[in-house]
Amino acid sequence: MKFFILSMALLIVSFGYSQEAGSTYKKKVLEQTEVDFLGSYYSQDGDNAAVTGGIGTEELTDFAPTIVVSVPMNADDVLSVEAGISAYTSASSSNINPFDGDKPADPFQASSGASSSDVWVGATASYSHSSDDRNRIWSAKASFAAEYDYVSFGFGGSYTMLFNEKNTEVSVNANVFLDTWDLLYPIEFREDDDYDFSYIPNYNPVFTGFDSGQRNSYAAGFTVSQILSKKMQGLISLDLVRQDGLLSTPFQRVYFSDFEDIKVENFVLGDDVEQLPDTRTKIALGANLNYYINEYLTVRTYYRYYTDDWGIDSHTAKIELPIKLFGKFTLYPSYRYYTQTQADYFAPYNEHLSTDTYYTSDYDLSAFDASQYGIGFRYTDIFTKSHLWRFGLKSIDVEYSKYDRDTSFSANLIAFSFKFVLD
Amino acid sequence: MKNNQKMKKLVMIIIVLLALQSCTAVKEYEKVALSDPDMELNARSVERFKTNFQAYREAAAGANGGKTGGGCGCN
Repeated sequence: MKFFILSMALLIVSFGYSQEAGSTYKKKVLEQTEVDFLGSYYSQDGDNAAVTGGIGTEELTDFAPTIVVSVPMNADDVLSVEAGISAYTSASSSNINPFDGDKPADPFQASSGASSSDVWVGATASYSHSSDDRNRIWSAKASFAAEYDYVSFGFGGSYTMLFNEKNTEVSVNANVFLDTWDLLYPIEFREDDDYDFSYIPNYNPVFTGFDSGQRNSYAAGFTVSQILSKKMQGLISLDLVRQDGLLSTPFQRVYFSDFEDIKVENFVLGDDVEQLPDTRTKIALGANLNYYINEYLTVRTYYRYYTDDWGIDSHTAKIELPIKLFGKFTLYPSYRYYTQTQADYFAPYNEHLSTDTYYTSDYDLSAFDASQYGIGFRYTDIFTKSHLWRFGLKSIDVEYSKYDRDTSFSANLIAFSFKFVLD
Repeated sequence: MKNNQKMKKLVMIIIVLLALQSCTAVKEYEKVALSDPDMELNARSVERFKTNFQAYREAAAGANGGKTGGGCGCN
């Protein structure tokens, strides 16, 4: 928290400092308006859905178109606005109420009810200002995001200093997110006359509900990048995050081993929803190191260590080898390895005790290893010969990634980007 | 106590890495290779979706230019 306050103070102080007098000629920070049309199609599957207490289908598909527009306001300032939606269908979310479908309720079958699909909408506006010598950059941003069951407002800023003939860059940033969850519980915990299970003998869930759906996140980051030689540069970044409020997901069931399983159709009614502490502190330390081998090949590497006070430690390592072909084309083969320990509060389906204070069967908080293979493709035209109305095509990116955990979970992602510049 | 030790390690790592910085600055006219788009230390814009789904599906987040928690309904 002290680091967060210090970062904010530095941002405020540096804002005034950055308004320094400049030299006579300045190259624009951004020469022309740029428009980036992005999108992705994501699919996943697995057998450990958190909504159904650690068993059940995790099948999910998501389509997410996004547009990012960057406008030079003058030689020093750039305004960027991005807006996107994310439309998804989720089998596990559909089982918040597994009894409203055509088939018997079953954690391994999607229900066809209202929770089976949703749309996320989000927008972010950011404004950056560079000093005349381009050695100081400050930026501020505000964001909004909403889904059926939550709304988020975010704001933040960053301050960057370049020195040592622009060989060294130091940056601090701070962000705050104020999220509010609509407390949407599994159907058996709601007061709904159409789904009343209180008549069932021996069904005595401990569910009581949450007092508030508020979640606040405070993030502070510190980054140092350094040119190490004519062909090598690296970056170290440190992120500190403090969250408080509702950190449990209100519709994720938990089953206790000391409670009798009560089955309706093929579905066991929940004993409670997950209960997690109302604070969490995260620390992530990452490092990038890029090396230019020759005009055809570059090596990009990344490593991150992460730890938090929920007992999770994680390591991430990634390597990417951009290969240039025929001048305008680049291939991006990559491999990423990820491993994490489990949270102190995690146990699989039906293994928690009702006497525990905190419990979750969300496999995103379990111990697992994951491998991700990727192949990307980029077409670049620095002369922007191809046009769409007044916009010249600058680059096309397409990327495919395959993600596999050492559990049943796997995912596929196809993403694309078409970047244009205004003539 | 355990977290304090971890923090000390992190701070030590940062200090050592800062100490390893190059003493001789590379001049602007020597930055041809460093100016290659593939040498950028930031992720490409198309990678945002990958970083986003990782933030949802993994407990770890941050130190990669992506979400660190909050604002996404993720962990």
